[in-house]
Amino acid sequence: MKKIEAVIKPFKLDDVKEALNEIGIQGMTISEVKGYGRQKGHKEIYRGAEYVVDFIPKIKIEVIVESSMVDQVVEKIRTSANTGKLGDGKIFVLPVEQVIRVRTGERGKDAI
Amino acid sequence: MPDKASLILKQKRERLISSLKGNSQNFMIEHTGMLDNYFQTCYETSLVGPGIRIEKNPYAIIALGGYGRKEQCVHSDVDLLFLFEHTVPATAEALIQEMVYPLWDVGLDVGHATRSVEECAEISRTDIEAFTAHLDARFVCGMSPLYTRLMSHLRENIIHKQSADLISWLIQTNALRHKHFGDSAYLLEPNLKEGRGGLRDYHTIRWIAKIKSDIRTRRDLEYYGYFSSDEFLSLSRALTFIWHVRNHLHRLAGRKCDQLYTEYQPKLAKILDFHSTEGRSPVESMLGKIQGEMEFLNQQLRMFLYELSHDTGSHRKRGPNLRTRNPKLEIRKGAINFASSAAIPGAPLLLMQIFEECARFQLPLSAEAKRLVKEFQYLADESFISSKRVVKLFEKLLMSPPGVVNALDEMLSSGFLVRMLPDFKGIVHRVQYDDYHLFPVDKHSLHVVQTLKKFALPEDSSECQLCGRLYQELATPKWLLWAGLLHDIGKGGAGKDHSKRGAIIAAVLLAQKGYRRKDIETICFLIENHLFLIKLATRRDINDEETAVFCARKIKEVTRLKMLYLLTVADSISTGPKAWNEWTAALLRDFFLKVLNILEKGELASHEAVDTVEKKKEQVVYSANTQKAARELDALFNVMSPRYLLYSSAQDIVSHIQLYRQLNDGEFVWKVDETPEVGTRMVTICAKDRPGLFSRIAGVFTLNGLDILDAQIFTWRNNIALDLFHVKPPLDQLFEEEKWERAREHLQAALSGNLDLAQALKEKMEAYRMDKLRATERPHRVVIDNQSSSFFTIIEVFSRDFPGLLFGITDALFRCKLDVWVAKIATKVDQVVDVFYVRDFDGQKVDSADQVSAIQAVITDVLEGSQHKENAA
Repeated sequence: MKKIEAVIKPFKLDDVKEALNEIGIQGMTISEVKGYGRQKGHKEIYRGAEYVVDFIPKIKIEVIVESSMVDQVVEKIRTSANTGKLGDGKIFVLPVEQVIRVRTGERGKDAI
Repeated sequence: MPDKASLILKQKRERLISSLKGNSQNFMIEHTGMLDNYFQTCYETSLVGPGIRIEKNPYAIIALGGYGRKEQCVHSDVDLLFLFEHTVPATAEALIQEMVYPLWDVGLDVGHATRSVEECAEISRTDIEAFTAHLDARFVCGMSPLYTRLMSHLRENIIHKQSADLISWLIQTNALRHKHFGDSAYLLEPNLKEGRGGLRDYHTIRWIAKIKSDIRTRRDLEYYGYFSSDEFLSLSRALTFIWHVRNHLHRLAGRKCDQLYTEYQPKLAKILDFHSTEGRSPVESMLGKIQGEMEFLNQQLRMFLYELSHDTGSHRKRGPNLRTRNPKLEIRKGAINFASSAAIPGAPLLLMQIFEECARFQLPLSAEAKRLVKEFQYLADESFISSKRVVKLFEKLLMSPPGVVNALDEMLSSGFLVRMLPDFKGIVHRVQYDDYHLFPVDKHSLHVVQTLKKFALPEDSSECQLCGRLYQELATPKWLLWAGLLHDIGKGGAGKDHSKRGAIIAAVLLAQKGYRRKDIETICFLIENHLFLIKLATRRDINDEETAVFCARKIKEVTRLKMLYLLTVADSISTGPKAWNEWTAALLRDFFLKVLNILEKGELASHEAVDTVEKKKEQVVYSANTQKAARELDALFNVMSPRYLLYSSAQDIVSHIQLYRQLNDGEFVWKVDETPEVGTRMVTICAKDRPGLFSRIAGVFTLNGLDILDAQIFTWRNNIALDLFHVKPPLDQLFEEEKWERAREHLQAALSGNLDLAQALKEKMEAYRMDKLRATERPHRVVIDNQSSSFFTIIEVFSRDFPGLLFGITDALFRCKLDVWVAKIATKVDQVVDVFYVRDFDGQKVDSADQVSAIQAVITDVLEGSQHKENAA
């Protein structure tokens, strides 16, 4: 099993969600995060006061999938989150040791 | 035998619970009675009991808490006290085993205590829970004199000696509980017992009345004058309903559960027979009703406490000194009253004036005044509510500074707001069944107004700083506040798009109030678009200039934008934590400032700009022959940049599109036109955009001796660059065709890397260099501006003209890894003003100090390098 973490542009969330639904991904965790990479922060100035955006608002998606699904999911996220511009985000794939469903105690594949 | 008795109890309870319907009051009394019966039977048949009596330590069984008040809900705890005359004997343990354990076995939660009278008094002194439980004590069976003794002991030794302390203790505990359980009445999952407006609020009233007047039953609240007869009826109605919900919730959950969790809500709504009405789901109707009753209960508590604090005269010193400006209104016990109800029919304006005083003095209306407002509201007929004086008074209320007492809130709770704004009726207690909207729509609307007004107060957080500043910049906040009050008015009806519906309702309502059309338009615009900014900020790419321009063009005016932003922030803040957090705030503010920037520059989004662009589009589409062609044009408009559409004539756009269609897979196509009269040439180049394209074109022209007079470049969003060069004709006009052909080949070669332009130009310059010496040297200047645009770094170069200048500058930009998106090159005689809108290859502005000074240095070098050369020559 793998965990796929993707940091994407906020307005791309619906597209990514839809794309993942299409290939049968049932669940995901979403968080509102902030950060920066090559797309730096910037500032806006209004009447002399600076409003600095140090960390740019992004959305983080986390999905746990069977290893066999990883390539498909990564590709779906990559294409659906792509605008071709800077700051489109990154995708991380991490190993997952175990998954346990709280309600039933099911483990592994069954619990995804 | 207790075992047998417990079985009987179990059966009886099961029967009672399964038949639970209708009047919950009867249910609770019957339920209580069953428990009483059980204990009475136990007491008589007990095997352990007689032993205790023999030891001369008689005991009694006392019901405490809810059981004591005969308010035993389905799964409420059974609070029990085994009261002994003397020290609790060792055999008490056996007694508990005999009587209480069987109850555990039948599934009841029994909390029992074994204490002597002395011990009860002792614990009541230190533990508020124990004290309040004892306040509700009720004799069940056993030695009744013991109970009497306990009660008089409590009264003489505790209550009489420190009643004031006890009351403030109760009030404090209650306030803490409200804080802990939040504004439960408005939370999506109200807590029927502990929340604001929950049963504990009623208990607090009852306990305090008990301390002060030793009341025995709820009815005594009326007899002792704590409630009017009407209020008591409403109180009973509210309590009965809440108990009813609570009983069913207990039964549904199968356990003691006072929080109305979302998972139970649909089932409960069905059981309680709520239906869909006026676009509300059954759950929404149920939550609305619960919210209404809990709100009422909480209001009663507040009023009760308020009057209490003025009875004791200890808390507020205001009162006698305060005078209203209107002799028909007066301030009594810290609340506003009508001096006499008889005056109201003759002067209905009093119904508004009382709220005006309420805002001015920051004092609530007394319960009596509210009752009178309700009773006389028929006086506020149609002509009354749209009369100038009334509207003026209402406006004043709307704009009154935010304080502890919100006059609009007082108006809402007395029902008069609905009278003033009949359309408000649809959103009163309107609950939305989702985990997003925490407050019912009416409360939310008032909350938004309050939040807006609070922007004017000095605050620390940077979000409010900006809002405060914007708020103060408004000439009048009146329109914004109206919009805040009415922004969700459309939610009263069924169907989607409440914003649009709201704008229509508001337009009619405001016209009746006599507002001018222009102002109504502003308010309705705000209402209709109150979700526009937040939607764009979260669903579109805010780092794309198009998004900001699109938004700016829709809003058109700086003031409107500011109001819309303030409304959006206040609306989000007042909706709940899911709608407003630092993340959303950052996104929205960033977007707002970008749009504001565009509107303040006025270039791309003024009324005129929008009109011009629309007209051009129409003209261009008009040129299309077929429907299909027209559709294609529409698609092309979407990729054209706002500046392009603004600055190119319709005629030019048509010819550019033709050129674009010839491009196909080629690198570039161009078209040379003779400019009539002036005799110059206009070269239009359509090319696949790539970094350095502009500098190469400029270089090729210079190489071919074509002097560039001015130039413009536009970049479309489909990666097409459109460059327009206005050049002097070739010197040798006889062979002009050939000249252009050679230039074309040069460009081809330069783009494919087969021609080293820099080198070629250097050689050419060597040959020409002493060409033009100038008498006067004006200083050159390079300005790098990162403020004017949120999306581009703007570089302005002022210099005197010399051959190869444009190539030199643009090539320098290219070497700095900058992409030119827009360029305006203008030459006046020998003075050149070049403006470039650039971004780095990643598409970002270049705003670090290092980069700025590097660019400055490189361009200056180009300018001075050439001068140097000329001077040297």
